[in-house]
Amino acid sequence: MAVVAEVAPVVANTRNRNGRRDVHTSRQARIGWMFSTPALIFVGMVTIFPIVFSVALSLSNVSVTGSGFALQGFTFSNYSQLVHSSTWRYALGFTVIYTVVTVLVELVLGTAIALALERLTKGRGLMMALLLLPWSIITVISAELWQYIYEGTYGVLQAIFQALGLGAPVFLGSPTSAVVSMMVADVWKTTPFVAVIVIAGLVMLPGDVYEAAACDGASAWTIFWKITLPLLRPTIAIAVLFRILQAFGVFDLPFVLTGGGPGTATTSLAILSYKVMFQNIDYGPGAAVAVSATLLVVLGCLAFLRVFKAQVGREEIQ
Amino acid sequence: MATISLKGLNKVYPNGFHAVHDLSLEVQEGEFMVLVGPSGCGKTTVLRMVAGLEDITSGDLRIGERVVNDIEPKDRDIAMVFQNYALYPHMTVADNIGFALKLRKLPKDEIRKKVEEAAEILGLTEWLDRKPKQLSGGQRQRVAMGRAIVREPSVFLMDEPLSNLDAKLRVKMRAEVRRIQERLGVATMYVTHDQIEAMTMGDRVAVLRDGRLLQCDTPQNLYEFPVNQFVGAFIGSPAMNLYQGELFDGGRSLKIGSQILELPEVVHLKKPTLMSYSGKGVTVGVRPESLKAASTSTTPGTVLSVQATLVEALGSELMVHFSFDAKVVKIEDIQDDEEEILTGSGEGVARIDPSVSVKAGDKLKFEVETEHLHFFDPDTGLSIY
Repeated sequence: MAVVAEVAPVVANTRNRNGRRDVHTSRQARIGWMFSTPALIFVGMVTIFPIVFSVALSLSNVSVTGSGFALQGFTFSNYSQLVHSSTWRYALGFTVIYTVVTVLVELVLGTAIALALERLTKGRGLMMALLLLPWSIITVISAELWQYIYEGTYGVLQAIFQALGLGAPVFLGSPTSAVVSMMVADVWKTTPFVAVIVIAGLVMLPGDVYEAAACDGASAWTIFWKITLPLLRPTIAIAVLFRILQAFGVFDLPFVLTGGGPGTATTSLAILSYKVMFQNIDYGPGAAVAVSATLLVVLGCLAFLRVFKAQVGREEIQ
Repeated sequence: MATISLKGLNKVYPNGFHAVHDLSLEVQEGEFMVLVGPSGCGKTTVLRMVAGLEDITSGDLRIGERVVNDIEPKDRDIAMVFQNYALYPHMTVADNIGFALKLRKLPKDEIRKKVEEAAEILGLTEWLDRKPKQLSGGQRQRVAMGRAIVREPSVFLMDEPLSNLDAKLRVKMRAEVRRIQERLGVATMYVTHDQIEAMTMGDRVAVLRDGRLLQCDTPQNLYEFPVNQFVGAFIGSPAMNLYQGELFDGGRSLKIGSQILELPEVVHLKKPTLMSYSGKGVTVGVRPESLKAASTSTTPGTVLSVQATLVEALGSELMVHFSFDAKVVKIEDIQDDEEEILTGSGEGVARIDPSVSVKAGDKLKFEVETEHLHFFDPDTGLSIY
């Protein structure tokens, strides 16, 4: 991946001797603001405002009346409720484990698929289109499809197992198998995403470095570990970053597949927030869950970027 | 230490393109052989076939006594220096140079010793811990060479390693590369499109065009005795001026345009077959170096009257672009497109003494060194000797 080594200053120093910016730059800036303002307002309304409001909700006592709801007072009680709630602690643990496991599996599988596809000269386009099908299906729909597959009595897997005389396995009915089944559905859908990002990185790698390695006497295995993988680090870092962001907020898959169950087995932080806010109509704690999830994502990404600062956005391959 | 032997090598690509035709060439032990030719002539393809990075369609390739047609690059005992250096971007200079040795599982201290020796030869010692992106073009080129040297191969293969350097650095590195190769005594095949590089570096130079070897000889022989008009015009800078001419009077007189030059006896002694072209047309080659400003002592019959169209003062000499009424013979691949625009009909270039005062638009007379004229068959382009 050819990423610029240093971000050059975006706007050159355009101040003239009087300290005023020259007419041309001022005009450009004004036009820029003119066109950006509507989008900024929209983004602000849809993104910034809800975030700020959620934080406000999470720090107040929220009472619900017949005609709406009201914020009363400033308190940390919503957050202390969270910390003492085993459901929240489970949701936190589950979301983290879910993220780690699915991202790791998708990374390994996605990279393997990318390496295999990269060798194809003919038919690569067709294979990539087929590969991307799971990713392109709307999650809600694919979750429904997996429900059909996993369903306890009439599901596809049930039929196969019974035909093979292997009894009646339970997929979504028990906590552990529900978690695993959900992870399988996620890996099926999201591995193509990782594969596509890794392929993009692979085709940008300098070809003559591989020829040099061949002349130097490197085997295919050595080339993979000592050359391909190190050179792919920036690309893999980007893919992992995206996946962590997505996985931490997983909602649609568990919501449709299991409803967060059985019990609370597949209740992620996002699902929990939804249930508390809109099913229990408990806005304060619900907002607290949402804010806690956001904080964790932000912290996770900051930690990740710290470690991979050298890779993401700074490495240059000449 | 081995020789390289190419016998009747052919390369045909899957789409049918015949890139290399029946190429036979030998590189002796310790010899610096340069492959030169215009873009697309197949010189890099030949080099890559020797390296094992391209399959050989037919013909024999020997390194030493072994036929290596089907042997992997790593087992051919060759080391290649790539045009874009192909350094491992994520490794330090020391790791880049030592990579091949590490693959061969040499002990760590031996690797370090060899790397330090190579760095010493190349002047890279203080850069061993840097990464390629922190180095200049010349330094990267030296790292690429270090990687090749440290493997102590039988053969060096170099693919235009200096073409990405600026002009002054290129001149300096030409000498460096040659010095290192002579010190190590390794047979080397060096590809370039720059005929000046070829002439200054090669023990022998092989001129290629359209996948065929035209002539392989020492630089001086290529200059003095080109086998055809392409080689004559390709070697030498500025290129040889080529005109349509006519021999008459038993071959003693040459008509170019409307002017007549007398050919002395020595020309016919050196080129016996020239006589048989009397009364017929020939292509005449005049090297820019063979033209001098005419003086009072100039022999009549060796004078060419021209009009100067452009004068370039280089300090050490004057390049005078001139025109007269002769018809120019153009050869593809010799000139850049930009030069073609400037060269109208009858235009040529002369290199003369800087003390001559001449400016664009002046009429002037040249003295032609007629004993250094080249003659080519107008149909085949082959030299007449």
